Amino acid sequence: MSLARPEGAPGAHFAELGISSSVLQRVLNAALSRGGHDCDLFFQHTQSTSVALTDQKVNQINTHVDLGMGVRVVVGDQVGYAYSEDLRPEALLAAARAAAEIARSTPGRVAAAPVPRSLVDRNPVKTSWVDVGIDDRVRMVRAWEQAAFARDGRVKRVDAYLQDAASVVMVVRPDGRLFQDYRPMTLGMVRCTAMSGDVRDSSGHNVAARAGLEFYSDARQAHLVEEAVERTIFLLDAGKPPAGDMPVVLAAGPSAILLHEAIGHGMEADFNRKRTSIYADKLGERIASEQVTIVDDGTIPNSRGSVNVDDEGNEGQRTVLVENGVLKSYIHDEISAKHYDVDPTGSGRRQSFRHPPLPRMRATLMLDGPHAPEEVIASVEKGLYCVSFQNGQVNIGAGDFSFYMRHGYLIEDGKLTRPVKDVNIIGNGPEALARIDMVGNDMKLDDGGWTCGKAGQSVAVSQGMPTVRVASLTVGGVG
Amino acid sequence: MSPFHAELDLASIARDILRQARELGADEATAGVSHSAYSELSRRDGRIEEAKESRSLSASVELLVNDRFSSHSTSDLRPEALRSFLERAVAATRYLEPDPNRRHPDRASQGEADIDLDLVDRTFVDGDPEPRRLRAETVESTVRERMNDQNVRSVTAYAWEGRSRRAVALTNGFETDGERTSFGMATSVSLEEADGRLPEAWSSCSTMHRADLWSIDRLANDVRARALSRLGSRPTTSGRYPMLLDHRVVARILGTVVGPLSGAAIYEHRSCMADRLDTAVASSAFSMWDEPLIPRGAGSRRTDGDGRPATRRAVIEDGVLKTFFIDVYNGRRLERDPTTGSASNLVVPKGEKSVDQLAAGLPKAILVDGFLGGNANPTTGDFSFGIRGALLEHGERVAAVSEMNVSGNIVDLMMRFVEAADDTWLLGAWRCPTLLFDDVQFSGT
Repeated sequence: MSLARPEGAPGAHFAELGISSSVLQRVLNAALSRGGHDCDLFFQHTQSTSVALTDQKVNQINTHVDLGMGVRVVVGDQVGYAYSEDLRPEALLAAARAAAEIARSTPGRVAAAPVPRSLVDRNPVKTSWVDVGIDDRVRMVRAWEQAAFARDGRVKRVDAYLQDAASVVMVVRPDGRLFQDYRPMTLGMVRCTAMSGDVRDSSGHNVAARAGLEFYSDARQAHLVEEAVERTIFLLDAGKPPAGDMPVVLAAGPSAILLHEAIGHGMEADFNRKRTSIYADKLGERIASEQVTIVDDGTIPNSRGSVNVDDEGNEGQRTVLVENGVLKSYIHDEISAKHYDVDPTGSGRRQSFRHPPLPRMRATLMLDGPHAPEEVIASVEKGLYCVSFQNGQVNIGAGDFSFYMRHGYLIEDGKLTRPVKDVNIIGNGPEALARIDMVGNDMKLDDGGWTCGKAGQSVAVSQGMPTVRVASLTVGGVG
Repeated sequence: MSPFHAELDLASIARDILRQARELGADEATAGVSHSAYSELSRRDGRIEEAKESRSLSASVELLVNDRFSSHSTSDLRPEALRSFLERAVAATRYLEPDPNRRHPDRASQGEADIDLDLVDRTFVDGDPEPRRLRAETVESTVRERMNDQNVRSVTAYAWEGRSRRAVALTNGFETDGERTSFGMATSVSLEEADGRLPEAWSSCSTMHRADLWSIDRLANDVRARALSRLGSRPTTSGRYPMLLDHRVVARILGTVVGPLSGAAIYEHRSCMADRLDTAVASSAFSMWDEPLIPRGAGSRRTDGDGRPATRRAVIEDGVLKTFFIDVYNGRRLERDPTTGSASNLVVPKGEKSVDQLAAGLPKAILVDGFLGGNANPTTGDFSFGIRGALLEHGERVAAVSEMNVSGNIVDLMMRFVEAADDTWLLGAWRCPTLLFDDVQFSGT
């Protein structure tokens, strides 16, 4: 079960569900009926399917359908929000009137007739999931399982999972903007449990993209299985690093969770507008070494964080946050853009029609620096090399962040030595950023299924970075 | 906004889904229908920031078709859409491999505990925003007044109310339903320090009955104490310290104990507890109970996920592991009797001393009252969490700490449990007092 890319003009998908242009205009006007300065309607229709292999059997399928509309009314920086899963006009009008209550004056504007706008599609799909049978998906996860068992005899158990989802969303604004966007997504995952002697451990790998079946090239499927197995086997011989402050080298790719947690969240402009971010009032200031340039990019084709149009009706774009160490821009939604008197950055995103949009990251990247990765590792006498991470978190105001390393190595005399696992690494965002003193030239966009949580909302993101040395971070090891 | 439908017959919608599923070829089915209303208001720095309203109606269905299992959910309940959703669901299920362990539990094992859990406050009035407006306004002004000697960057106040109902029906004839209300208020305060840091603290109270909410004074005093305790926080020296684990955050550590007790984790060999039933997994001073039948308890329930009557059971008694959380499905896979699939309210008996009395006896200790990231490996029991809190000496706070990690193995840590304080936390499904552990690994500077 999946949604095909809609045919016809923008808006046609929801017109078929009874949402005509005149209904849209009535709902917009109901939203503005108490004097709201602005409003948006966000319609969403999502279908997803996942197939799971467990116990050496492909024995579970899950499907999900989500349909509804959220309406936001804005008065300055005040927000009224309501949603309805019932798309009949009377239910939409009731939701709009509930959201309108944030305002308490006479109506100041009338909604223009919606005019469909076209979009650049950054997420082309060659083979739609609509055309992929359940039997084909069953064969795929079965093949992943077989390949994982075949790769290493120490693998005792394999779970595999394939999900696809597609959303058709429509954003409508009282200035006449009407965008309809088709948002595909897929995620493949393999998880293994391995045993050697008395030592048992589990790990896995996943890959994700806004794409169709073509994402799973032979090479990508082989890589998915290889990573899942090798990451698990790695843990069997891995120990714990020593505890305390030490230099940390972050491997290219998934290490960008540091970027996301330690730096990215603090650059989301809602925290700055409210002056609760540690980066508030630092625009134009040097916050990192000259080697550091960070962008948040919604334009990378088929990436999980790619945005054709954001959930407020602003087209996706690439935003330079830090250029050669100087803070250049925050990540904006419309409310914060107005506050700072700048253009929105196309970063107003939401989990679903049940939530108002917030400034959110898309694909957050640190660009290449001058150093070869080998040079970065060789520069450390005693420290930690982090290969992969599981999760992270940040306190925006205090700036302290943490991220959990699953796989890594000790660095001794400039060489990778003992494998280590399962330690939390903690630090202060601005301090960590200032302590990045070597940036590699091997930037890698990670293709994992990263999901960012904020204010109770999860959105898909991407991240990438080159090999980086942080002069010192606190490692939660032993001793 | 359309009203909350107190009278909408959710069970009959569920039965209709079962009827259609059977028509389409399902041998067994479980249908759940949920309806909820939720309203939330937030104020920041003297003005309303956000007002949210929602009404939700959605359905979930589990199917068994020729012993093949699938699960589905939808918020699109238009009759023609629901029909085609079920058609596709049944058709997709036929492609799977059989899993007869998914068959319904024995009907004779199902039922509900005969108790009124008192989860619904009849004073809930749908659609009346005034109580929320007033509560949020008073919270904000009280907190501001209480913090007026501090360098406050921002104060946010929240007030919310909600009501939800759910009905579940199975093709074997078992039916159950539940309803609960919720009332809440919260506040967060952002302070400004001389070095530019903006530590933030929050306090929150959520209950099922309006009358059980804290006084706003108590909330304001609580957030003040928490905000002041964050000022000047820094990592302290790495080493092994006694750990006082604040009653609000015990779930982060005890959740690491409970996760590996699930039937799925045991069956899938992802549990460090699999071979430890009836053995010591904690010091003999530690006990923990699963208590589903506490009136007004956040995790209370009359029936579990398999429709079996909820009962109180020991999870760990005098340090010995007494129970795994095994649902019917995993029970069949493991060839063991099911217990219950998940925890309800987890209760650690309180001790006799106050937190201050416990702390006074410790020359040096770390009080952990917040976690930041980190994770645990359920297969090995190893954990590593970011923490914040305070360094204590003979019960005196000598420094606020943050940017530190606590690490170890969960069984090793539980063996180091010493004593519980007398301050059981009652808001939430973890009803535990502050817990003292000895000789715990912290890393900082």
